[in-house]
Amino acid sequence: MMHATLPPYGRNGLRRALIGAALFGAASGSGSAYTVNLSPAAPLTVYLQVGVGSFTNDYINGGQPGNNTAINTVSATVAASVVGNGTAQPMTTNSTAAQSYYDGFTFCSVPGQIYIGGFYRTAGGTTAAAKVTATVPAALTDSAGDTIPFSKIAWTSSGNADSGAEPFPAGTFTSGGAQSVGSMSSNTWNESCWTFSYLNNTVPPAGTFTGLVRYTLSAP
Amino acid sequence: MKFSGARTEIDARSRARAKRSAFFLACALSIIRASAAPAKTITIDDSGTQSLEPSVSLRWKSPAPSRAGPDNLMVGTTTIRVRINVMPWLRRTGRIYLNLPAQPPGPIAASWTTQGRFLPGQLQSGNRVLVYAGPIASPFMEDVLTFRFSVDGTLIRRSFPVSFHFEMDED
Repeated sequence: MMHATLPPYGRNGLRRALIGAALFGAASGSGSAYTVNLSPAAPLTVYLQVGVGSFTNDYINGGQPGNNTAINTVSATVAASVVGNGTAQPMTTNSTAAQSYYDGFTFCSVPGQIYIGGFYRTAGGTTAAAKVTATVPAALTDSAGDTIPFSKIAWTSSGNADSGAEPFPAGTFTSGGAQSVGSMSSNTWNESCWTFSYLNNTVPPAGTFTGLVRYTLSAP
Repeated sequence: MKFSGARTEIDARSRARAKRSAFFLACALSIIRASAAPAKTITIDDSGTQSLEPSVSLRWKSPAPSRAGPDNLMVGTTTIRVRINVMPWLRRTGRIYLNLPAQPPGPIAASWTTQGRFLPGQLQSGNRVLVYAGPIASPFMEDVLTFRFSVDGTLIRRSFPVSFHFEMDED
């Protein structure tokens, strides 16, 4: 059987076969690569939540962030008998944001704490951290024009089952101006729970004092 | 003499049998060698291939990052009308692979669906995947592939090209 197949591949036949193979290789050597261009279309995304926020679902369930225009309050009512005695008065919030939108975990305890959290997404390697600043008026005021300096309000920072440094650490308001209250590394989720208190070490006139602090996230 | 003559005859038969065995063994070895030789791979001419979109827009797979930050995939889809020239293999059988070479900016994952001419699949850059095996019955093979590319967003800052090609393994 083998003898029957070998003779056609004599010296000439083999040469013809090799030439054929060479020609075939040349004919099929015109291959190419196809190229598509990939463009990061929406690389920068920022989200900051102080108090209540909006997510379509928890992050781990595919939730997406949304806008929420609510302004939450923290407040304290100081009994006349303790006004100015130097014992800090805990403040409570009307925020109902106890669960983290990351996984639904009850991270903060309301009404004693207010949730602050967020993230910024950016393409490319790790960049400088995004900054969260508080724009603070000089003072809280009442209808009579009396004032309490904002520096009389402080906060501690924690989170249920949390450990390590908080991305939004404890602090005290600086009256009048913008102050840094925390930072976020790129492409990470950051959250803390703030517990506010009124320092209560002066004796202001009786009244209801209010003021508005605005928090701003600035990404590089 | 008779005995030795008979012995000589037996020896001659044995030698002939041994020669024949050696020949068949050589043939068998050469056949085994031939089948073990690696298939020749040739890049297929895909100059008739067209993308239905000018570029692929990458978006975050998850709009929010995780706490630890490892979920940084950006994904984008595009539809490509593939037309490859398989004329050189007409009336033969062949195995066609989609090859996504390793390339900047780093690991790239691709998955695709087809309209049936080729096989759907997925692969990581630096690898290839079989998309067709069988007879080559026409000079060109066509299909519409919807690709989904995934790449680590921390590796990219601007647009970048991704190249792939089809290749034929010849038997």
